[in-house]
Amino acid sequence: MTSERSPLWRRLLRSPAFVTGTALLALSLVMILMSATFYRGNPLSVDSPPFIEPVTEAAHPLGTDMLGRDMLAQMVHGARVSLLTGLVAAAVAVLLGALLGVLGGYFGGWVDRACTRITEVFQTLPQLLLAIVLVAVLTPSLWSTMLAIGLTSWPQVARVVRPEVMRLRQTDFVHAAALSGMPPLRIIWHEVLPNVVPTVVALASVLVATAILTESALAFLGLGDPNLASWGAMIGAGRSVLRDAWYVAAFPGFAILATVLAFALIGNGINDALHLRRR
Amino acid sequence: MSSTRRDFILRTVLVGGTSALPFASDVFAQAGGGRNLVVNVAPEPSALAIVNGLPNQIVNANIFDGLVTYDSNYKLVPQLAQRWETSADGLSITFHLRPDVRWHDGTPFTSADVAYSALEVVKKTSALGANAFAAVKGVDTPDAHTAVLRLAFPAPVVWSYLHGQQFNIVPRHLYAGSDPLTHPRNASPLGNGPYRFKEWVRGSHIALVRNSDYWDKQKPYFETLTFKIIPDAGAREAALESGEILYSPHSPVPLSSARRLAKSKDVVVDTKGWEGLTKVFFFDFNLKKKVFQDVRVRRAFAHAIDRQAISNVAWFGFAKPSRGPIPPEQKQHFNAEAPDYAFDPKKAEALLDEAGLRRGADGVRLRINHVNHTFGEEYRRAGDLIKQQLKQVGVEVELINYDTATQLRKLFTDRDFDTSAIDYAPGLDPQIGVIRRFWSQSIKDGVPWSNGSNYASAATDAVIQGIVDATDPQERKKLIDRLQVLVQQDLPSISLVNINLVRIFSSKLKGVDQRPLGALSGLGDVSLAR
Repeated sequence: MTSERSPLWRRLLRSPAFVTGTALLALSLVMILMSATFYRGNPLSVDSPPFIEPVTEAAHPLGTDMLGRDMLAQMVHGARVSLLTGLVAAAVAVLLGALLGVLGGYFGGWVDRACTRITEVFQTLPQLLLAIVLVAVLTPSLWSTMLAIGLTSWPQVARVVRPEVMRLRQTDFVHAAALSGMPPLRIIWHEVLPNVVPTVVALASVLVATAILTESALAFLGLGDPNLASWGAMIGAGRSVLRDAWYVAAFPGFAILATVLAFALIGNGINDALHLRRR
Repeated sequence: MSSTRRDFILRTVLVGGTSALPFASDVFAQAGGGRNLVVNVAPEPSALAIVNGLPNQIVNANIFDGLVTYDSNYKLVPQLAQRWETSADGLSITFHLRPDVRWHDGTPFTSADVAYSALEVVKKTSALGANAFAAVKGVDTPDAHTAVLRLAFPAPVVWSYLHGQQFNIVPRHLYAGSDPLTHPRNASPLGNGPYRFKEWVRGSHIALVRNSDYWDKQKPYFETLTFKIIPDAGAREAALESGEILYSPHSPVPLSSARRLAKSKDVVVDTKGWEGLTKVFFFDFNLKKKVFQDVRVRRAFAHAIDRQAISNVAWFGFAKPSRGPIPPEQKQHFNAEAPDYAFDPKKAEALLDEAGLRRGADGVRLRINHVNHTFGEEYRRAGDLIKQQLKQVGVEVELINYDTATQLRKLFTDRDFDTSAIDYAPGLDPQIGVIRRFWSQSIKDGVPWSNGSNYASAATDAVIQGIVDATDPQERKKLIDRLQVLVQQDLPSISLVNINLVRIFSSKLKGVDQRPLGALSGLGDVSLAR
């Protein structure tokens, strides 16, 4: 087996999950690149007859939807929305979750109890329902979607970070730092956090995947930004014409599948590479 | 599965009217009748008698007849009333009732039932009814088969509210002394129509049986009429395709499926029968915003929006471009002379230039927000189209989707929007549904579905007041015509498309009512083609 001393990136490259995930993710990145180059126009402009089948007209390789909007243009712009939402929402969740997890795990006592209670309250609320309420109240837009997903998915991070910090709190090097008179915040920043990062990165990848799914679900339900092309919204609109024009819902469906799978695999890959020593 | 339920399913398997079964009477066979007719209504009714709601009324129409029905020109057609006359002063309307009608329990149907239902049911249980019957102050019953409506002032609007599913006449001997809205028999009604109520198993079916004592002797043509409850639209579609259900009038499937089913020879997909209840989908300008106070801008928008494309693409052809606030199907009120605005982007651009809104360096001359109507995917598609069409003339539209409560608050309380789209039911008489959209008196904060554009014009107000006060139908018709001209000239709101619900039924069915309120008629005349 791989030696645990070999560098992280080499272990990652040997992980089939990570490599497959990265390859799948490259697809989305190519789409984003296309949205910035060949498809710079408005993807929602109605400029062709509706229901052109895929691979029948060179101008519309993936056909047009029921309004006569180019499918490929919508797909590549949808990639932007999905990835941006996924990354920003995951970042919000990681920041919030890490903050509460570190505070609770490091200081213990009433701080820990307060942080844990807050986390539990959020954990008991169904994530998608809470996101729906938040988006509806804030008015559907790209930013409200990101915020809503971020605000509803951080408890996972807190639950993972807290025990990790509690474990690190008992390590010799943290004790040594405390004895040497380092203030707690400095200890957290310099000694604790760097050791938490790998775990969080693995988790964040999965968070991105779930955030993309949640964004699609919201857009599917009609709670996306109506001014932007989005995979979920395409499925929502295409669902009703599934029997005459399967491709309107199927293409964005595959795109979501590929992207979510990519992030999930990357997360798994990182996790495996990090935790070899624990096996 | 309970045995009764299994029996029910077994029985319904025999549907479709294969004439292998022996008929109770030769009359049925000759008329193309059968034993059982299985149909559908979606969603499941909330009640049957008295309580308003289209699914309720669709079932109820088989159990109750009304005084009259309307033909395709909205002229009255006798049903329980054989004839009628108005006094010279317009203050009383006399109905001569059919003498041979009995309730399903054998009690004779009399003028006392009419009086009770007019005064205690219509006027007290329904907002629309209270409005239409506002002038009705009493009902005289000189004999059992004569009912005289006494009016406080002449009110032509009464004539538009006499159909059995508006003016629902219920048996006084069961209802007297109770609160009609909560009466237990609303869920197991006793009527006088072609079919009698048998049972309602919630979530499964509503079973009716032939009324052998019906006044129209040969009818109805089936031994039983069963409304099967099918909550899932996909299952309804399959049931209609397979012939498991032969009739479903209340837009049972999404429009995309209706479009697909319409290609089939086995089913009829049409909007006839709902024309009396056509809804109008319209585009409101917020006249509190300075830019929309210039009528040239409003007219430019009307030229820029392609109503035909909205009908074809957003509604898959199940809507027609509007020609004003009153749908053309309402021939007795529609004014074809009112101004119309053809789709003409060039003209739109010229008007916008003239109004001083020139294109900037980025091609944009005006940025506005638009509150979408999010009632269904058709409305969302329409919003997408409007955005793209206005972009062609340099108007950049930002779509906003709210939940319904927020949407209504933004439009009718906060009045915080640039433009919006919403729909309304104009009703059989403009006084019932149309005037609220243009009357300055209906700018009332917190009252939804009223005057959302904040349009206030002294001339229009005077015409509306005239319509409400008019006693002479000819004079009133002139005012209704004038109203349409005024609001199409001023254009506080662009009527976009007229929307009808869709009825789907087997092409084997004969005698399906095609009149404007046909979907709210019972199936008493329906039989199977041989």
